[in-house]
Amino acid sequence: MLTYILRRIFLMIPTLIGMTLMLFMVLRFAPGVASGSALSSGGEMQSSEARNEEIRRAKERLGMVDKNGAAIPMWKQYFVWLGKTVKIDTYSVSGVNIPGPVVDLGTSVKYRKPIVELIKERLPVTISINIIATVIVYMIAIPGGMLSAARRGATFDHAWSFFTISLYSLPVIWIGSMAIGFLANRDYLAWFPAAGLHVTDTTSHTFFEYAMDYLWHLALPILVSTYGGFAYLSKQMRASMLDNLELDYARTARAKGLSGFVIATRHVFRNSLLPLITIAAGIIPGLLGGSVIIETMFSIKGMGELTYQATLGRDLPVIQATGLVSGAIVLISYLITDICYAIADPRVSYD
Amino acid sequence: MFSGVLKPVMIADPATPALEPRTEGVSFWQVAGRAFSRRWLNLIACGHIACIALLAVFVPFIANGHPYTIVYPTKAGHVRHWPLFATLSALDLCLLVIFAGAVAFAFFYRRFGRTIVDREDRSAARCETLFIIMGIVMLISGALFYFHGSPLNPNDYRSYEAMIKEGRASGALFPPVHWSSSEQEPLIANRTFEFPSADHWLGTDGIGRDALSRLLWSTRVVMGIGFVAEAIVLIIGITIGAMMGYFASKVDLLGMRLVEIFEAVPTFILILIFVATYGRNIFMIMVILGLTGWTGVARFTRAEFLKLRKLDYVHAAIATGLPLRRLLFRHMLPNALTPIIVTATFGIAGAIMSESGLSFLGVGVEPPTPSWGALLNEAGNPAETFRWWLAIAPGFMIFLTVFSYNIIGEGLRDAIDPRTNRVR
Repeated sequence: MLTYILRRIFLMIPTLIGMTLMLFMVLRFAPGVASGSALSSGGEMQSSEARNEEIRRAKERLGMVDKNGAAIPMWKQYFVWLGKTVKIDTYSVSGVNIPGPVVDLGTSVKYRKPIVELIKERLPVTISINIIATVIVYMIAIPGGMLSAARRGATFDHAWSFFTISLYSLPVIWIGSMAIGFLANRDYLAWFPAAGLHVTDTTSHTFFEYAMDYLWHLALPILVSTYGGFAYLSKQMRASMLDNLELDYARTARAKGLSGFVIATRHVFRNSLLPLITIAAGIIPGLLGGSVIIETMFSIKGMGELTYQATLGRDLPVIQATGLVSGAIVLISYLITDICYAIADPRVSYD
Repeated sequence: MFSGVLKPVMIADPATPALEPRTEGVSFWQVAGRAFSRRWLNLIACGHIACIALLAVFVPFIANGHPYTIVYPTKAGHVRHWPLFATLSALDLCLLVIFAGAVAFAFFYRRFGRTIVDREDRSAARCETLFIIMGIVMLISGALFYFHGSPLNPNDYRSYEAMIKEGRASGALFPPVHWSSSEQEPLIANRTFEFPSADHWLGTDGIGRDALSRLLWSTRVVMGIGFVAEAIVLIIGITIGAMMGYFASKVDLLGMRLVEIFEAVPTFILILIFVATYGRNIFMIMVILGLTGWTGVARFTRAEFLKLRKLDYVHAAIATGLPLRRLLFRHMLPNALTPIIVTATFGIAGAIMSESGLSFLGVGVEPPTPSWGALLNEAGNPAETFRWWLAIAPGFMIFLTVFSYNIIGEGLRDAIDPRTNRVR
C-alpha cells in the first residue's frame, strides 16, 4: 500500500512540473509584460532613452535579461523563476530542524500583499463551499441513478434523465441572477441575504447562531453550484448499477430468491459505488472553475473572486498563483481518490 | 454447395444469369440516423440549432434600422431606394455566400449520393464539388472584404422616421424588428433600461439600445464561438490523440502528461489566465476556448486509436507503405469518429456556456459586439436594482441552445451505442 501511494506521488511530480512550465510560458509570452511593468513603476513623460533603460531594468527584474542586457535563455529563466517560487527552508518541529519547501508566489500588484497570504485567507472559503456542494450532489444523484437503473426504460428513467440534463443546461449566470434578484433582493422577496458569508457583527452570536447564519448565507450559492452536477453523476451511477446487475453474483442472489429491492440495496449498491469514487476527483475542476462565477455573483471573498479580480485588473502574478494552486488541489484530489479507490477495492493491484 | 456456407447462391442456368434482387445496404450512419430521428426531442433540438444558425445568417434582414425599401420624392418623380441591401456589411455578405455554398454542396451531395456509381468515384466527386464550392466561396468572400467597405450609420430608424414625418420620404417597408444592434435612443429622451413596450419589445439596455435586436444579433457570436472553438478543439485534440494512440509507448506517455496538465488546471481558470494575458477580442476568445478544451477529444481519439492499431486492416495499410498522414486520417480516423462526434457536440455546449459566463463577468467578447452573457449582465446587480425583463430572455436563449446541443449529444450517443440499440 505504502509503495503504491509513494508511486502515485512520484507520478504526480512530472505533471506538477509541466503545469508550472505551462503557466510560466503563458505569462512570459504575454504581450507587454516588461513595458507594462516598467510603466507601472514610472508614469511621467520620459525621453526614449530613459524609457528604454526602464524597460531594460524591468526585464532584468523579471529575469529576462542579465546585467549587461543580454537575453537569458528561456530554460534558465524558468529554473530561476522556479527557484524563486519554491525554496528549501528549515522548519523547527519540537526543537528539531527539518528541511522543507517554502512556497513564495510573489506579491500581488493590486492588494500589495504576499499572494500566499491572500490564498491562505480565501482558500478555506472556496473549499468549504465546494465540499458541501459535492456532498449534496452525491446525496441526490446516487438515489436518482439507482432508481433510474431499477426502472430502466420506464417513465421515471426518461423523466429523470431529461430533468437532470435540463438542470445541467441551465446557465449558472442566469439561475444565479434570478435567485439573487427574486429571492434576495429587497424589492422582491428578500428571503436570503444577497452577499457575503455572515452578517457584519457576529460577536454576540453563540456557535449555533453563527452556524445557522452561515448556512443561511450559503443556501443560495450552494443551490446554484449543485444543480448542474446531478446529470453526470446519476448517469454514471445508473450505468454502474446496470453493469453490476448483469454480473454473476447478482444473478446468484436472484436465483436464491431475493427480492429486487434487497439485491439492489444490499448487494449491488456497494459495488456500484466504486466508480463514483474516481469520478469525485473529476468533478472538482468544474466546481473550482464554477466558483469563479458563483463567488463573484454572491460577493464571497474566495479563490474564485480573487481570480476574477486578478483577471479584471490584469494582476498577472495572482492569476498565475491561483492557476497553480487550483491545479495542485486537483492533482491532490486525484491522489486522494486513487488511494480511496485502492482501499475500497482490494482487486486493485498495488504495483 | 460449399459456397453456401458464406452466402446462399441460387444455382442458375448458365445461359440466363439470374438477376439477384438488389437489396440496398444500410450503412452504419443510416442506422444511427434512424435511431436518432426516432425521438422527437432530438428533432426539436436539431430544429432549434438550425433556427439559430439561420438567424445568424439572416439577422440583418430581421433586425435592422434600415428599411428594405423606401421612396424619396424628387423633382423628376419618385425614386425607390433599397437601403437595407445597400448597407449590408462585408461580413453579412460573406455569411450569405457561405450559406449559399453550403446549400449548393448539400444539393450536389444528395445528387452524387443517389447516382449509382462506384463508391470511390462517388466520394471523389463529392470531394471535387466540395473543393470547387469552397474555392468559389473563399474567392467571393475575399473579394467582398477587399472591395466592400462597411457603411455605418448608428442612428438609422429614428432618422428614417423623422424623414417620413417631415414628408421627405414615403412608402418605407421596415424589417420586423426595426432596430439595429447599435442604434441608441437619443440620450436626451432618457430611455435607458426601459420596460418592454410597443416600441422596444424586450426593453432597452443601459445606453438605450433595443434588447431584442441585440438578442437576435448575438446568435452570430454564439454560432461563431460554438463552431470555430470546436473546430480548433477537434484539430488539436484529434492530432494529439491520434499520435498518442498510434505510436503508443513513449509518445503516449508524454501526451498523456500534457493532457493531465491541461486537465489539472480548471478550464474556466485556465481561460481566465489566457484572457488576462492575451486580451479578449472575439477571435482571441475562440482561440482560447479551443486551446483549453481539447483534452476530452484527445482522450477519446487516443482510446479508439489504441484499439484500432492492432487491427488487421491497419497492419495492411502500414504494409502498403502509406504516408503517416494518410494512414492516420484516411484509414483510421473514420473508424474512430463516433465518440469524437459525441464529445464535440457536448464541447460546443460547453464553449457556449463558458463564453456567456465570460461575457457576463465582463471579460468576454468586447462590448460593442452583442452577446447573450453581456445582455444578461445589463439586468444589473441583482442584489440592488434587478431588471428581470432584461434577464429572462437572454438566459432562456442560452439555456435553450445549450440544452439543444446536450440533447443532440445524448441522442447521438444513444443512437451510436450498440447496447442501447439492442434493447429497443
